[in-house]
Amino acid sequence: MALEVLLVEDSKTQAQQIKETLESVGLRVRIAYDGPDGLREAIANPPALIVLDVKLPTMDGFQVCRRLKRNPATQDIPVIMLTEKAGPKATMSGLRAGADDYIPKDIFASEHLIDTLQELGILED
Amino acid sequence: MSEARSPYKMRPPVMQVRVEDSMDIMIVRDTTRRAAGLLGFSPAHRAQLASAAATLAELVLKTGEAHTVHLNGVIDGARTGLQISSETPWLAGVSANNVLIALKSKMGDLVDDILLEREPAPVIIMIMWLNETRE
Repeated sequence: MALEVLLVEDSKTQAQQIKETLESVGLRVRIAYDGPDGLREAIANPPALIVLDVKLPTMDGFQVCRRLKRNPATQDIPVIMLTEKAGPKATMSGLRAGADDYIPKDIFASEHLIDTLQELGILED
Repeated sequence: MSEARSPYKMRPPVMQVRVEDSMDIMIVRDTTRRAAGLLGFSPAHRAQLASAAATLAELVLKTGEAHTVHLNGVIDGARTGLQISSETPWLAGVSANNVLIALKSKMGDLVDDILLEREPAPVIIMIMWLNETRE
């Protein structure tokens, strides 16, 4: 059975693009459109991986990631932050929040996402 | 195109990206992630190195001149690391201390070492060393 990814992304267009990338490598994707919803989904039904946007309504991705990593029910789930904020401060904020990777949303984002899924053992090489 | 320089012995990977406009920043980031992956850095550390390289490329691009970002493996005794470097001729005559303070304040969290080699032309060098927690 395919592994499930929880995608937390408020933009429906971007969520659809990322979902298609993840499904193209055989993963199932659930989508949450804001931080609190993402946290509830992750706790209620822990996925194999969480792909998390930074700019989210109500609670940003850094806060969501910190809460996921503090909760024993979700702390071991790998988190990849996928974001438009690519600067040094944002990168370090994401990694210090506990993200396993921090990938800017640029033309290479899909490739980097798949590379990281392989690196984390979510996908086979 | 300039050649990479380092205070350390260099080893593969040896990569370089010519940066002429803002699109090339993405290529710098991508190439850095790949170079860091070849050396065995974890995804999180690849992200740090990619951010450092992209920030250096952006800084240099703001001077209005095309330049080359070099990515090289480096060896120091038993240590292996990834070096990111770029020639910065406009820094000739500028206080090295001031440059290093500015660079460390912007990128000091991303890499282990930030150096300014003066001769024959100024080169900014940033290095992250590989260790067990970074693989």
